[in-house]
Amino acid sequence: MQDTETLSALTIEKLNHSVTTSNGELDILKGINLDIKDGESVAIVGASGSGKSTLLGLMAGLDQHTQGTIKLYGEALETLDEEGRAILRGKYVGFIFQSFHLLPSLTALENVMLPNELKGNGKADDRARELLEKVGLSHRITHYPRQLSGGEQQRVAIARAFASAPKILFADEPTGNLDSKNGALVEDLLFDLNREQGTTLVVVTHDPELSQRCDRRIEIYDGELKES
Amino acid sequence: MFAWRLLLREFKTGDVLTLLVALALSVATVTGIGLFVDRLQQSFEVQSANLLGADRSVRRDEPIPQKWIDDAQQAGLETAQTASFSSMVFGGDGLQLAQVTAVADNYPLRGEFLVDETLFGVGKALQEAPKAGKIWLSSRLASLLGVKLGDSVRVGEAPLMVTRFLVRDPGSATSAFSIAPRAIINRSDLASTQVIIPGARVRYAFLYAGDPEVLEQFDSALARKLGEGERIRTPIERGERIGSTVNRAESFLLLAGTLAVVMSGVAMALASARYVKRHLTQFAVMKTMGATPKRLVRLMVFQVSMITLLGIILGSGLGLLIQALIADLLSSLMNSSLPSPSLNKLWLGAATAIISVLAFCAPLLARLVNVPPLRVLQPNAGLQVSSTSLFAFGLVGMYGLMVIYAGGWRLPSIVMIGLAVVTGLVFLVGWGLFAVSRKLSKQSTTGWQLGLAALHRRLVSNLFQLLVFTLIIMLSLVLVGVQSNLIQDWQAQVPENTPNHYLFNVQETQLEGIRGYTQDNQITASDWFPMVRGRVIEINGEAVDVLFPDRRNEPEIVERELNLTWADQIGEGSTLVDGDFNAAGVSIEQEAAIEANVGLGDELTINVGGIDYSLPITSIRTVDWQSMQPNFYLILPHSVLSDYQANYVSSVFLDDTSAAGFYRFMANYPTVSMLNIGELLKQVQDIIAQLANALKIVLTFILGAGALVLIASVRSTLDERLEEGALLRTLGATKKIVRQALLIEFGALGLFAGLIGAAGAELALVGLQHFVFEMEVTFHPLLWVVGPLAGWGIVTIIGVFASRAVLKVPPIRLLRSI
Repeated sequence: MQDTETLSALTIEKLNHSVTTSNGELDILKGINLDIKDGESVAIVGASGSGKSTLLGLMAGLDQHTQGTIKLYGEALETLDEEGRAILRGKYVGFIFQSFHLLPSLTALENVMLPNELKGNGKADDRARELLEKVGLSHRITHYPRQLSGGEQQRVAIARAFASAPKILFADEPTGNLDSKNGALVEDLLFDLNREQGTTLVVVTHDPELSQRCDRRIEIYDGELKES
Repeated sequence: MFAWRLLLREFKTGDVLTLLVALALSVATVTGIGLFVDRLQQSFEVQSANLLGADRSVRRDEPIPQKWIDDAQQAGLETAQTASFSSMVFGGDGLQLAQVTAVADNYPLRGEFLVDETLFGVGKALQEAPKAGKIWLSSRLASLLGVKLGDSVRVGEAPLMVTRFLVRDPGSATSAFSIAPRAIINRSDLASTQVIIPGARVRYAFLYAGDPEVLEQFDSALARKLGEGERIRTPIERGERIGSTVNRAESFLLLAGTLAVVMSGVAMALASARYVKRHLTQFAVMKTMGATPKRLVRLMVFQVSMITLLGIILGSGLGLLIQALIADLLSSLMNSSLPSPSLNKLWLGAATAIISVLAFCAPLLARLVNVPPLRVLQPNAGLQVSSTSLFAFGLVGMYGLMVIYAGGWRLPSIVMIGLAVVTGLVFLVGWGLFAVSRKLSKQSTTGWQLGLAALHRRLVSNLFQLLVFTLIIMLSLVLVGVQSNLIQDWQAQVPENTPNHYLFNVQETQLEGIRGYTQDNQITASDWFPMVRGRVIEINGEAVDVLFPDRRNEPEIVERELNLTWADQIGEGSTLVDGDFNAAGVSIEQEAAIEANVGLGDELTINVGGIDYSLPITSIRTVDWQSMQPNFYLILPHSVLSDYQANYVSSVFLDDTSAAGFYRFMANYPTVSMLNIGELLKQVQDIIAQLANALKIVLTFILGAGALVLIASVRSTLDERLEEGALLRTLGATKKIVRQALLIEFGALGLFAGLIGAAGAELALVGLQHFVFEMEVTFHPLLWVVGPLAGWGIVTIIGVFASRAVLKVPPIRLLRSI
């Protein structure tokens, strides 16, 4: 049993990823090596099209990489099929997206309950109410996403991401669609909850302020990794 | 249970509801029409059986074998027998030759007698036979004999008491040309009349009735035991006019149902596509939360099964309601009520739901389950649709449904081929029209430019939308066209004042008096035709016995003695097909000529009153047998028949007010035979009215369904257009320009769809008239106006209505909500 201080949440070795386009193979990620410790917060920055979001997707097991190894809490993603990766995500992973991706047919409360309900957790309701209170939306739990502002929607999404108490949280431009005031609010919430729950945080962002608040800052340039 | 909760939550928003509504409507349409058609069919059978007096009848010259009766009763069928013979009836002032029918106590098995207690009365229905020792006389017979109710008459050796005057008996319409007046007695009195002696000519009838399935089995068993010239008569062939009317109505309803299935299919596919499009990201999100593909499949299967089940229940309920409503509307228009629906037809709706879901939803929903979770980061992931395979699935499903519905391959195959042709036509013509619009757009103002150019820019999606619009407009036009054709055709069959009484045996000396009465009292009468009996004995010098050794295959003109006539003119309702009507030869009816395999120039030898005449066929005519005018197979030159004493025949129209007076007047001519076919005609008119109303209601219903599908299809591509409108507005386009562009794009789609739809409908109508309904082919200029106008109007209205959002809402909110 390893000490929590040294336990790796995510390990990437010699990761290459390419996609087939009409102009032939296109290398998106080249020779990436990365180790993220449990509880660490890491910002991935880089220009548009540098491969940030692709890397995030691969780390979270949303897609299959071409070459190399990605281990999420010790389990090698390349050895798993979609079924296995989904189980792994359910166990460890939470997500926050730039465009929120709340389910339009569900209320704020139901959206936050969803991860636990999918797992068959009985206490989904209590947990969701608690989290919505934390993000300051206890008065809007019966509202549908379309009745909420962008900032409110992202706060619901944060509550949803923490609902299943994930060990690692992936955030893709969480403040990208928000004005600075709402962006700051969401940012605070994200880091508060992260600290409180001891979650590992991986954020893809353009926002310099957000990246400054992370323990580490990794820059991708043309598919290659550069730590700063 | 989570799956339940999720489904309930989804219901609160529109998408699942749209799917459910589409499904329920499909089921309701198919069930509603299916059940209603079933009731109509049952009703026709019952009504026709009333005319026959039973569900089946067999007539023969020998007594009915006891074994037939035993077998029928053992099978659970009700049976009855009648015996008809000509006999002298004695009573009052003298004696008279009459057609006497001896009937069993339980006769008629179906339908009823029409009898009255006053002479020449209109009659009341009575469902029982005369008791033993009693006799019912037709008013004419009674007045010829000069007897009244309670008097005694004698049939053969049996004294019988007159208890009622017979207006009509269920079998009377069959014996349209039995000329002697009629009397009905109880079968138990038959022996005591002592008229049934060896050599006496008696027609026995074996009647039976019961459960349709048992009937069918018994029919095939009995058919093997029948002798030469004997056959089983079924109700529907009895009133042949009704038969063809019902057949056409069934074809129409079948067509309507089949097209309704097509429309439902389109609606289902559209609703599923919209559902999937809006749920792709949601499923991807659930996958990021750890929902495994297996889990999602289970979730989906559960949800779809529940929606299907609910759709079947709601749809069946709605279908039952609809058919009850139709039947109710109809019952106020006619005097008979429809039999209750056979609920086992409900499976048709359920099958429609299940096949629709499998064919139209399942492949699309499979895409939902297979959506890559990466879609949450890359919005385009998982959007590629293999449209062809989806299309193929849907087509196979639709064809299967139509085959089940139509109960055969022919109509579905015609419809499928038609759909293929229309699809080709739409793509070809649509592509051309869009290309032209694009050219035009370059020389137009901003709104027009944007609108017209958009047609070509979204070529594929617009072509598909054009196809859906065209199909719906075309199907609707086809149904409207067929329906109005059919109803016109039917109404032409039994026009007002169609003669309802035949007069026979009128001597030349009596003509003037009767003619004078009809003229003075404004009674519509047809021409008077002289009638002489004769028999065709040779064709081109060869004896007919040699030409047609098998009596069963004898053509009608040689089978029996014919009524022959002469005429200077071809007469109303007849059309000359070939030859010269006034030449010194025989004029023959076309179908009789075909049956006997004779044509112009062939020589017929006809025996009239013992003398043979050989005459060439000099003209061929068609005859409208349904005109209720006296008609003849053969018309001979006057010179041939002038030496014979002719009886005259005519038909007159009597209404309730003129009938009594005419009957009284005719008592002055006791030798003239009169046959009342008013009941038969009224029945035909009732059925036609009933059918016409049924058709109208079904049509309205399907047009409503079509409108719904049209709305669904406009909505399905609206998101894209709204998004574009919002973008245009952020780029500074005024509301007016955005609206104009949208209306021009939609309006053009509707207009083109209406045009192509009208062309397709015209083609389809010609085909249907010719091949399915066997009617005269006519063209429908109105379609070409209604089609494009309706297409443009409806699509524009829906477009305006649905696009209000673009114009009201700030663009940023719209962009965000899409």
